[in-house]
Amino acid sequence: MSTALKAWIGGLVALVLVGLVSGIVVFAKGLVVTGLTDRVPWGLWIALDLSSISLGAGAFILSAIVYLLNLRQFESVARVAVLIGFLGYSSAMLALALDIGRPDRFWHPLVYWNVHSVLWEVTMCVVLYFTVLALELSTVLLESPFFERWAAAPRVAHTLHQFTPVLAVAGLLLSLLHQSSLGATYGVVAARPLWYKPSLPVLFILSAAAGGVSMTTFATLLVSMLQRRWVVGREVINRLAILAGSAMAAYLYLKLWDWAATTYYSNIPAREVGLSLLLQTTPYGETFWWIEVLLGGIVPMIIFLWPRMRENDYMLLLGCALAITGVVMLRWNVTISGLVVPQDWSPGVAFLFPRLSYHPTLPEIGAFLGIIAYALLAFTLAVRYLPVYPMVRETE
Amino acid sequence: MSDKDKASPVINRRKFLELLGAAGFSTAVAAALTVPFAGRKARASGREGESEHHWVMVIDLSLCIGCQYCVYACQAVNDVATDMRWNVYLLDQTETGKPFHMTRPCLHCQNPPCADVCPVHATYQRGDGLVVMDYERCIGCRYCMVACPYDVRRFNWEARSDENPYEPEWGSAEVERRPRGVVEKCTFCIHRIDRGLEQGLTPGVDRAATPACVNICPVGARKFGDLNDPDSEVARIIATKPTFRLREELGTEPNVYYVPAEGMVIA
Repeated sequence: MSTALKAWIGGLVALVLVGLVSGIVVFAKGLVVTGLTDRVPWGLWIALDLSSISLGAGAFILSAIVYLLNLRQFESVARVAVLIGFLGYSSAMLALALDIGRPDRFWHPLVYWNVHSVLWEVTMCVVLYFTVLALELSTVLLESPFFERWAAAPRVAHTLHQFTPVLAVAGLLLSLLHQSSLGATYGVVAARPLWYKPSLPVLFILSAAAGGVSMTTFATLLVSMLQRRWVVGREVINRLAILAGSAMAAYLYLKLWDWAATTYYSNIPAREVGLSLLLQTTPYGETFWWIEVLLGGIVPMIIFLWPRMRENDYMLLLGCALAITGVVMLRWNVTISGLVVPQDWSPGVAFLFPRLSYHPTLPEIGAFLGIIAYALLAFTLAVRYLPVYPMVRETE
Repeated sequence: MSDKDKASPVINRRKFLELLGAAGFSTAVAAALTVPFAGRKARASGREGESEHHWVMVIDLSLCIGCQYCVYACQAVNDVATDMRWNVYLLDQTETGKPFHMTRPCLHCQNPPCADVCPVHATYQRGDGLVVMDYERCIGCRYCMVACPYDVRRFNWEARSDENPYEPEWGSAEVERRPRGVVEKCTFCIHRIDRGLEQGLTPGVDRAATPACVNICPVGARKFGDLNDPDSEVARIIATKPTFRLREELGTEPNVYYVPAEGMVIA
């Protein structure tokens, strides 16, 4: 193990410890240690849930392409996509365990159903899909050298592997549902004019497709560059980039019309008032146009779809990083913008209530960093010790 | 990578159709799972039980003097944390700049968005119109707080060990404190209504069966009663006086009616 790798792992372990301490503080004292309030009850951790789930979307897209379409050239990245999906969803669950007021009742949505709640649907889908991911990932684990001492391992792995197409269909169904309904969680809230629109579920799934494939591409390209060998064929990486770029183009097209239809060609007073408050008092305008649209959308789309650009490793790596940033920014902006605009329920004048603010506290940031470090650490160790890139082993 | 793979295009027509088919199938299954539930919809989450009553509150803004006794009585009787308000007071002004006193309990909407979004049915609507909380079931996800158009919901951010400064001056606690990590809100003093009905009392008429905020109001600006009873005071006021409800355009159908303050223009 090189010194750089040791330092990287050491740093991540330290951050995981910071996260653990933060988690203990939250469990001991309650959510009062966060910057959340009754009027801004969701914040950094919710943005983390949404982002890590969206960046895990490569798993369902690539599983579907490989096992349903039988496009075997993508098979070499299906495993790493599933691994990233598993880490993304488990990160979201860790954040949720901290975020809900009664983590001891995490199982309630599974037993007490309210089928009309978008959040119930999200919970059920996420739990089921997490199971799918765990089963898909278990075949990788069973093939690792550790399980060679267990004679039945290859047989179990083979049996599980036969179910992969079934899992891929289940994964496609569950992912289409919950990646969209995470956007619907905001889109159905009639009380908040900035959220209340049917485009949000579709914006969420299209951006998740772009972000998820970008994340898979980023990880694969970075691992190849660090190990100084191609863990998958460079041509596969090019095709991933085309896939991410196409999803990004679809997302940007919808985003253009979402913006045009809700703000440029129409003006519902409540939405206009809320938006102007955001533009005047928050960096919403700058982050929307510069990060969500330009740097996190248009620029990576061009890099992905322009052959000379995507064939340059550093350029493609930058494109993936930008796409990921844009997809995360969308989730942060949607969550916070809808909440900090006060609800004018009183019949008196609008702007009676000042704009609300939200500042994450140290325990919130600590847990946030700890969860991200957990995912990075698990990914690093998995790439090192598990057959995540099966083609490499075959050629060695 | 085999030579055959290299030669083939990224995706051919047949494979494209297969993917389209799989995606279409998944969408169809998703829709099929959703539609039977949607078909039942009159009010999304449905009501629990039938009732001959329909509880409403009337707040007469032209009478309110802004003493905030209703706030204090609520804090004491429902043992609400001091930094929390179930019943909110606000010095508001009309569009012409004339000040008036605004108070707002939970509006107990006929179509409560909070009940629709709750993933576990911890908040639901009873047949008599009351929107109630099951503190034993709430997981503390706070989606109801996000969805409520009126900012009535409060979260227990920490465990409580404080003294209630409104006791005993403004009344004494009639309900248990809520545990850390659950959401709470105004109940229309549901404990008084239910116990009162058992004893043959009439909520809104008999004080023991009437919300604390209504009883304590020194000018009678708050009225409570059964809208299904045409002889009740609330039914008479709503039938004879101009009234409005908050954010009516959302279709939540609140069960709190306001009589406008002087100089207030209502649509």
